[in-house]
Amino acid sequence: MNILLCCAAGMSTSLLVTKMEAAAKAEGVTAKIWAVSANAVNAHLDDADVLLVGPQVRYLLPQLKKKGLEKGIPVEAINPVHYGLCNGVEVLKFARNLVGS
Amino acid sequence: MSKFNQMLEEKVMPVAGRIAAQKHLQAIRDGIILTMPFLIVGSLFLILAFLPINGYADFMTRTFGAAWMTKLLYPVSASFDIMALIAGFGIAYRLAEHYKVDALSAGAISIAAFVLATPYFTMFTPVGATKAIQVTGVLAFSYLGSKGLFVAMIIAILSTEIYRKIVQKNLVIKMPDGVPPSVSKSFVALFPAFLVLFVVWILRLIIENTSFESLHNVVGQLLQKPLSSLGGSLAGALIAVFLVQLLWSMGLHGAAIVGGVMGPIWLAQTDANRLALQAGHALPNIVTQQFFDIFIYLGGSGSTISFALMMLFMAKSQQGKQLGKLAIGPGIFNINEPITFGAPIVMNPLLIIPFLITPLVLVLTTYIGMSIGFAPKTAGIAVPWTTPPIIGGYLATGGNIRGALMQVINLVVAFAIYYPFFRMWDKQNLKAEQGQ
Repeated sequence: MNILLCCAAGMSTSLLVTKMEAAAKAEGVTAKIWAVSANAVNAHLDDADVLLVGPQVRYLLPQLKKKGLEKGIPVEAINPVHYGLCNGVEVLKFARNLVGS
Repeated sequence: MSKFNQMLEEKVMPVAGRIAAQKHLQAIRDGIILTMPFLIVGSLFLILAFLPINGYADFMTRTFGAAWMTKLLYPVSASFDIMALIAGFGIAYRLAEHYKVDALSAGAISIAAFVLATPYFTMFTPVGATKAIQVTGVLAFSYLGSKGLFVAMIIAILSTEIYRKIVQKNLVIKMPDGVPPSVSKSFVALFPAFLVLFVVWILRLIIENTSFESLHNVVGQLLQKPLSSLGGSLAGALIAVFLVQLLWSMGLHGAAIVGGVMGPIWLAQTDANRLALQAGHALPNIVTQQFFDIFIYLGGSGSTISFALMMLFMAKSQQGKQLGKLAIGPGIFNINEPITFGAPIVMNPLLIIPFLITPLVLVLTTYIGMSIGFAPKTAGIAVPWTTPPIIGGYLATGGNIRGALMQVINLVVAFAIYYPFFRMWDKQNLKAEQGQ
């Protein structure tokens, strides 16, 4: 499963990536998880099964959802509390539910 | 969701979304990012050229000859001084990408159109002469750098709009069947390129006959100057910071939204200081991109590094201790989402108060510190916003220890403002934890 995360600069989402990778490893899930800045999403969308958006850029959600629809992948904002506490387990669960695996 | 939250979601979110999604603003923001790596590389050479160490210049002259600085600054010209060219290409590229037309062609057309809008001569005073003479057949660096930034932005957008309209209306030269697609593709840009250059050419011919003389002067006088004096003032800085904090209080990335509009102005202000530094003049601008990134947002928007340190070392509640550990690492690099969403500060009436006030106060202390000469102004060095405090202040001021000192003072001020609120927050958490 390929999980793409994005925020303004791809910085704070990259914190979450590390935690999600740890969570995936612990659960025995093979997943490629990476974070990019919002303006780089286009170039990465082809490789992604799901796009998770940092809550601080959720104003971009309508346009990102449109892009996701074109590619046929789900796009959702991450729960702010899980985001703030870098809760890799919960965000991974969220991503897996969206993909339906 | 409370009524207030619901109001925010319904009213503020769409506005923020519209600003961030406005295709031209988005193209400008994303296009200018293309200049950043070059500006940082150029900055490294700039720092080396102006290290404020006693005897450094003499040592360099003895070791590398009298022209050492000129030579050390070569890469600066290839980065800072062609900022407008790079940005113009980037903006046209990103906008064309948005319209799903050939981005590379749009970028190339934009560069050609920008050059067409730029004077092909420079004034030069030969040694011993009293009057400057006109040297033709040259493009002056001064037009290709920050002074040409606004012209490049406008031309990139106009030329790409013309380009995509023609391509989308299919007014392109079509090759008969049998011509290889890659050959016919190269002719697609031909007609739009002609039209764009024709329009800019006519524009140039007209403006050359007015007192403005060049498109650069028109844009400089009518747009860049008024915008810079507005965005570069103390009031402008306070308003920008207030908006950033207000948006962040609702959990929206205020810096990305406000910076999307103000970025070009602050970048031009930054570079004006760099040009003054190189020319040996006094630095003109206090408000630059680094003013905010390095001196105000210590630890991220809201100047929260002090709050992170308090949590780490002084928290009595479990939540405070744990969040402190989680937040301090990214906080050192000015990333503070763990605090804003984790404490949380977002939608939290108690913590929003210091979160709003602290950066505003730091704008005042820094502005005063720089205007009375206590702290040096930023030297036009493009320090990345992720540079940790104290190092950042030292580098952004061209290696001046008083730049770091200004940051220390700001850290102390931020600490004092956050402290009572931190105490109340910690006490609340402790009570909740003991109650369970």
